[in-house]
Amino acid sequence: MEPNNFSLIQLQNWMQGMLIESEVNDDPGVQQQVNNIVNSSKRLSAVRHLDIYRQSYIARLRACMQNQFGALAYSLGKDLFELFADQYLEANPSNSYSLNTLGEKFPAFLEATRPDAQQREIWPDFMIELAGFEYALSAIFDEQAVENDNKPTNDTPDGGLKLAPVFYLFHHRFPICNYYLEFCQNKKPELPLEQESFCVVTRSNYKLGLFPIRGAQYYFLESMKKGKSVAEAADELIGKFNFNRNEFGAIWPEWRRSFIASGFFCR
Amino acid sequence: MVNKQTYAEAVKNLPNPGLGLGLRSKHFNHILEHNPAVDWFEVISENFMDSGGRPRHVLRQLADRYPVVMHGVSLSIGSTDPLNIEYLSKLRTLAEEVNPLWISDHLCWTGVNSLNTHDLLPVVLNDESLKHICNRINQIQDFLQRPVVFENPSTYLTFKQSTINEWDFLRYMTEETGCGLLLDVNNVYVSGFNNDFDPVHYIHQLPHDRIVQMHIAGHQHCGNYIIDTHDRKVVQDVWKLFNSAWQLTGGVATLLEWDSQIPEFEEYHAELLKAKKYMNTLSTFKDEETAPLYNEAVVSNPVDFLVSDIMG
Ligand SMILES: [Fe+2]
Repeated sequence: MEPNNFSLIQLQNWMQGMLIESEVNDDPGVQQQVNNIVNSSKRLSAVRHLDIYRQSYIARLRACMQNQFGALAYSLGKDLFELFADQYLEANPSNSYSLNTLGEKFPAFLEATRPDAQQREIWPDFMIELAGFEYALSAIFDEQAVENDNKPTNDTPDGGLKLAPVFYLFHHRFPICNYYLEFCQNKKPELPLEQESFCVVTRSNYKLGLFPIRGAQYYFLESMKKGKSVAEAADELIGKFNFNRNEFGAIWPEWRRSFIASGFFCR
Repeated sequence: MVNKQTYAEAVKNLPNPGLGLGLRSKHFNHILEHNPAVDWFEVISENFMDSGGRPRHVLRQLADRYPVVMHGVSLSIGSTDPLNIEYLSKLRTLAEEVNPLWISDHLCWTGVNSLNTHDLLPVVLNDESLKHICNRINQIQDFLQRPVVFENPSTYLTFKQSTINEWDFLRYMTEETGCGLLLDVNNVYVSGFNNDFDPVHYIHQLPHDRIVQMHIAGHQHCGNYIIDTHDRKVVQDVWKLFNSAWQLTGGVATLLEWDSQIPEFEEYHAELLKAKKYMNTLSTFKDEETAPLYNEAVVSNPVDFLVSDIMG
């Protein structure tokens, strides 16, 4: 582009391209373009002026990704996380006024660009699951919901128990919830082995609660999530796993207590 | 279309709530528990407009206790894209809920072709863009039914096509639309250093009766240029500029921005309260020269604080 013969639209498209595309290099043609459009100053050339914007663009959004995927960034390590985040941001530049959805497609991007396409390895699966979980948490944290503080008591009959309004179940191939909790508690968890896991995420008083649960509890609560009552969910669980009804009857008071204490239920 | 005179009048009648702080999620608990004696809070509109969770819940409580100003980063007034009606609608809804003293954003563009760089990019300062921007301000003010206040951003380049000084551009904006101005004295300092203009001259040239608010902030000096990092205390030169601006405007609402390496609430508040001693007298300017502080990662307009702190 020559100076003074391009429109505002052309100029903005050009500058945005210079920020977003990492391919823009030092070739003399590009430098000449920059010199035609941007002023140099006492201390800096036109190219250096533009470079300040270019460097800040990626650093700024990378920091947002790091915030949204803190456990993943820890797990991958700084360099690898940045590599993935930079590739992601180049392929999926933000198209929203909000930063909250910046990482929405990151788990799918990691899946589509997994580095072990030739020979499958286990660790990318863990990273993809972790990324999906972290994004889900940020969505649950800020979702529109009417919370219900009406907590059941010991006297509330089973028939009066409902799931809390913000209640999500997760089923993972890896111990994702435990890993995430340990990360949050600064316990520096190590890369875990593959091990099926289940958890509940609730929001009460606008704060997230994360609870690892057992497989049988997951299926029981999943029935309730689909609208079943406690009695119906118990029947389904007993049928599905061929449980002895008396065994379930013996364990239920314990489940009930801990579910109520964890805020899974409301009245 | 509402007469621009109506907006100009409304701007003139805006109050001076005093010394304010930016609302940051890190401080939510402290503020709710202690009700600190802060005159008012500035909230980043985009942080709350889509929130159905804790940020919005906290803001609702805060707006009952303190005057609030809504400060945006995605209006993109200079962009050649069409106005984003979805964004404007959410801004209006949030304003109805929060009842802010005013709504502000920046003289900048953030992206084109529906993309958002999440940066405050510099606008070309010429007749074509002035007309374009004033046109959009008129539409937005009519949509929101109130004047909008525009801030001078920190800039790191100027365009060969620019033909108008930034201070004149801002003045023309106020004359053509009745909008208000938010004078960021730190940004003037940063832009002046980066683009070879005298910040004192800049501040003197502004239409002072249109300025409803000031920003002060810390920046990082990188030798050949300055980055507006909002991650530290205010330097003496910026306090001096603040002092001039205070005299010229007769004193307006003032806010300290701190968006990265955010300190505990008390320290943040204490830095703000220093503004009191720089309002009227120049005698105290010798006392403390802040030691330069270098960070590994230098980012202008840091925005990662806008991402929800979900386990906080
Ligand atoms: Fe500012």
